[in-house]
Amino acid sequence: MSFKGRRVKNKPKNSEQGLAYLLLSPVLILVGGLILVPVLGTFITSFFRNVTFMPPAKFIGIRNYARIIKDPQFWQSLRFTVAFSAVAVALESILGMFYALVINEKFKFRGIMRAIVLIPWAIPTIVSARIWQLMYNYSYGLLNYVLVHFHLCTHPINWLGSPVSAFFSIVTADVWKTAPFMAILFLAGLQAIPQSLYEAARVDGASISQQFWRITLPLLKPIIVIALIFRTIDSLRIFDLIYVLTGGGPGGSTSSVSMYGFKSYILGDFGYGSTVSVITFLLIFVFTVIYLKVGNFSGGLKENER
Amino acid sequence: MSDKTKKKIFVIIGVIVTSIICLVPFVWMIVISFSKNPDFLGSVKVSYTFTWNNYRQIITSLDLHIIDYFKNSLIIAIVVTFFSVMIGSFAGYAISRIRFKGKTFITLGILAVSMFPQISIVGYIFELMTKLGWINTYKALIFPYIAWVMPISLWILISYFMQLPKSLDEAAMVDGANRMQTLLKVILPISAPGVFSTALLVFIASFNEFMFALMLTTDYHARTIPVGIALFQGLHGQIPWGQIMASSAIAAIPLVVMVLIFQRYIVQGLTAGALKG
Repeated sequence: MSFKGRRVKNKPKNSEQGLAYLLLSPVLILVGGLILVPVLGTFITSFFRNVTFMPPAKFIGIRNYARIIKDPQFWQSLRFTVAFSAVAVALESILGMFYALVINEKFKFRGIMRAIVLIPWAIPTIVSARIWQLMYNYSYGLLNYVLVHFHLCTHPINWLGSPVSAFFSIVTADVWKTAPFMAILFLAGLQAIPQSLYEAARVDGASISQQFWRITLPLLKPIIVIALIFRTIDSLRIFDLIYVLTGGGPGGSTSSVSMYGFKSYILGDFGYGSTVSVITFLLIFVFTVIYLKVGNFSGGLKENER
Repeated sequence: MSDKTKKKIFVIIGVIVTSIICLVPFVWMIVISFSKNPDFLGSVKVSYTFTWNNYRQIITSLDLHIIDYFKNSLIIAIVVTFFSVMIGSFAGYAISRIRFKGKTFITLGILAVSMFPQISIVGYIFELMTKLGWINTYKALIFPYIAWVMPISLWILISYFMQLPKSLDEAAMVDGANRMQTLLKVILPISAPGVFSTALLVFIASFNEFMFALMLTTDYHARTIPVGIALFQGLHGQIPWGQIMASSAIAAIPLVVMVLIFQRYIVQGLTAGALKG
């Protein structure tokens, strides 16, 4: 194959097209074979009774879906997943914005502070889950020690033991780990805002908080929308953190949809597990479409470029 | 109070609060990993005893397999990084430089994969790997990982390639280079920082992956360090926090050091897609 002397490039050349497909083929084969086919396969399996120790698999139409609609544990995990995502993403955007505003200021140790903010992001989720699990420990965890020792609480709290405190314990661990990601995106956005805007605002007598609400926030909007989309998609899939911290407990109150599907797989019920997975997939898909529409994603980007 | 004073106060409070939040859990991991009695806060008279033993045990005690898990993670992540950057840059080059039918559809299709939940493919992959007899091998993780990290890889690489002027390619091709030569000898060397960002993020993603590794491995032959740490069982019933934190430190510290040294590339990689859309 030789492409010598091809200088005219307005029309797609057949040989060039062929090369393009050739260059794309490894990616297409892998992504097709190991992601798209499995997603379709999962969809097909969701119409079967497919239990490892009860072969062979049998077509049962939509009976798995009929079962899921009447399954209180599934609805419980769906509610948890949505509530968790809403609370966690909101809190981590606020904390991420706080980090970003701090490290965007000019001061002596700014470089070190930027590094420090990245540390939670750099720690593997499973490791951070284990650290938080230890800090939440009832009798010798750091949190209870500090609370009781400084008389903030009279009794230690059983962080992972009740549904409400377990919910917020998971949220806290997740916010800790992911706020730095938000901060990195927001910081990039902050640095793109021209200083002259703030100078003009100061001349007009705008206060610091007015500058934040009138200049910083509106100009960051496109980045905030993207960051929210990334993080919400990610938190709707939450699994690792819950697996270590609560295993879905107490009483299934902190089981996410991914966790619930995984448990079916572990029990060998691939038909029902696939049904849960299909619903999880649809949940995220529908969310993404709505977000892109409501956030006016591409419109916002173009506005920013002007 | 002038605006300057207000900002100064904000920075001081901000630095203190940020440092406490970000550092305390990390430092606590290290403190406990060197502790002889990890439950020391629970005793009546709180006293901390330093020891190297937790590290010594997880390194020397072969039954715990922590070093095997670490080695597995490292090998898998390196292989995945190499191949995903390689085939990702082929695809990224085709997408950013060559006109072909279905380009938008294919590109968006691959990038859309990044929103798929892992749970929606892991069951099928498990059955597939069982049929192939690949359960508990490196292959069972390497292939799905390469596919799984492809959107990140492609996203960053395309955004880098798009920044490079097309005149570079044209010049190389006027000089008689073909497309492959142009990619390998002109585009890739110039986008070295972008390729490096991609490699770092892909490495971190595959080193940290949990659900596939949990489902597709059964013991130390292929089990990765996140799974090893999540499933860490004590030999005597009680949770061996000292050893768990020592293993966690062994898994986390290389990544933390890497992220801090290459901070600039990580930040560029993370923001590459988001800023340009």
